[in-house]
Amino acid sequence: MQVDIRNRPSFANLHVQFEPGDKIIAEAGAMATMSANVEMKTRLNGGFFGALARRFLGNESIFINEFSAPSAGELVLTQPFPGDMVCTELRGNTLFLQPGAFIACDPGVRMSLGWAGVRSWIAGEGLFRLKLTGTGRLWFGAYGAIFDREISGEHIVDSGHLVAYEPSISINVGMAGGIFTSFFSGEGLITRVRGQGKIYMQSRSFDGLAAWTNAHLW
Amino acid sequence: MSSSRESFEGGVFHSSIPGGRSGARVSIARGELIADTIGEPNQRFSIPLTQCKLDLGGASGRMVFCRTDDGTLTIFCEDKNFAKELDFQSGGMLAQQLQSLKKGQRAESSRFGFWLAVSALACAILLFGGYYGVLAAAKVAMRAMPVSVDEKIGTMAFNSMEVGRKLEANHPASKLVQEIVDKLKPHAKIPDMKFKVSVVEGSEVNAFALPGGQIVVYTGLIKEAKSAEQIAGVLAHEMSHATLRHGIERVGQSLGVVAAIQLLVGDVGGLLALGAQVAQTSILTSYSRTAETEADLEGVRMLHAAKIDPQAMADFFEMLKQKMGDLPDAVAWISTHPQHETRVENIKNHQKTLPPAVYEPLQLDLKAAQDAL
Repeated sequence: MQVDIRNRPSFANLHVQFEPGDKIIAEAGAMATMSANVEMKTRLNGGFFGALARRFLGNESIFINEFSAPSAGELVLTQPFPGDMVCTELRGNTLFLQPGAFIACDPGVRMSLGWAGVRSWIAGEGLFRLKLTGTGRLWFGAYGAIFDREISGEHIVDSGHLVAYEPSISINVGMAGGIFTSFFSGEGLITRVRGQGKIYMQSRSFDGLAAWTNAHLW
Repeated sequence: MSSSRESFEGGVFHSSIPGGRSGARVSIARGELIADTIGEPNQRFSIPLTQCKLDLGGASGRMVFCRTDDGTLTIFCEDKNFAKELDFQSGGMLAQQLQSLKKGQRAESSRFGFWLAVSALACAILLFGGYYGVLAAAKVAMRAMPVSVDEKIGTMAFNSMEVGRKLEANHPASKLVQEIVDKLKPHAKIPDMKFKVSVVEGSEVNAFALPGGQIVVYTGLIKEAKSAEQIAGVLAHEMSHATLRHGIERVGQSLGVVAAIQLLVGDVGGLLALGAQVAQTSILTSYSRTAETEADLEGVRMLHAAKIDPQAMADFFEMLKQKMGDLPDAVAWISTHPQHETRVENIKNHQKTLPPAVYEPLQLDLKAAQDAL
């Protein structure tokens, strides 16, 4: 199965080329177009309560779709907002995703919802996070461009910009500077990530868009 | 040193792994920490326990990292039994390192708790102080506006209100009320305020004042009054709301609070516009307890100056109290209207502080006005 990310970075979409017997798991509603021979099976995203929890706490769909092709075919997957997508490969390791970022994965990747904690919530990253673990490729998207950093030690990210991180990274909330700087620099609270591992960030944040839109409504 | 009975789920960072990282089975054997990667290609990494540099952290705060001196190889594990096993297998060698890491983590955790509590408290103080600060500032700002603004707002509100049928100006009740207003007008705090009084059909014993001097009296109040002086008492109270500019003060405070909320949390949009619409008339006609008391006292001063016995105002409240009973204390405290009893007492006390005067009974035919209703 060959998967390409096309039209990067603004309107990225996943172009999947199936070979007979290939399978991919995707977020419900992500399919934009597919060959007539591609089969789509919808199932609950985990158990019933797990699926409900992922819907309301993890901002993901109750259902996920499993696409498979008995013969060669193609499939295009998209995300609801403009932005880039990336692919990363799990080798028995784990990646935490921001709610709403998940797009698709190989069948070997398991998805679950985990408590992210008060710090993550204050940092604007939500009380919950999706935990993806197993073996296989994983595709996720973000609002704006996606860039990653290999962290060793400490790094600072503005709140709302962190999209994914490894469990070996800890998240702390901090002020951008002193009280005056934090209030008037427009940066407010920042996220301090610490540890060893990779983080993925988005170049735009939904909060920023919402604030900008609101300011122009009147 | 023995080998560990079990292996733990963990991971490894090393540059020779594709992608630089992999999940791994972590075990301890023969004085070495060993990581076998999951998936292809199978690789084995190990660090002698004597060379382990430990760290504690990760997203859960429980992840134990073990690094080589040069930092090129890191084996990590989150299993809660891993730390114990590590300690046991190293013969206590790593115990001290682990202890001091945990201590540091606890200290950081309590620092976070402390700052969380301090921030919550600061937010509460800011909100509370900000609210009252805005109210006070709005009061000053609105007072600085010319009285003509009151008139405009009052007229607009009056025209948009559905008050009921107005009695004709030549109706005996309208004439009676107009004559009392004329008598009180010269003693008003704002001498050139244009008072416009309307008598409106309605059974409630009520009257209200809008900013700028629009006053509405319900026929129910005229029917219940025992003397023209009692009506004069109510009118003096309502005229005082207008001359003390209570209505415009409330508008200012409401706008100020809205503006402050916008400043604090950003734009809150349509919801507020809706709230403002709904609140428009209720804001203009309902006053705070302080405002009610102020209007009572100013009313007494006006009545006294117009040589009308302020006792009648107290009598009217006394009558209301007997007719409707007092509010239970708890409710009265929350409600905007002061207890009738307190009002009566305040009026009487205030009257005592004024210079003695000879009051002249009003030469008005209340009976005829009541009969015409």
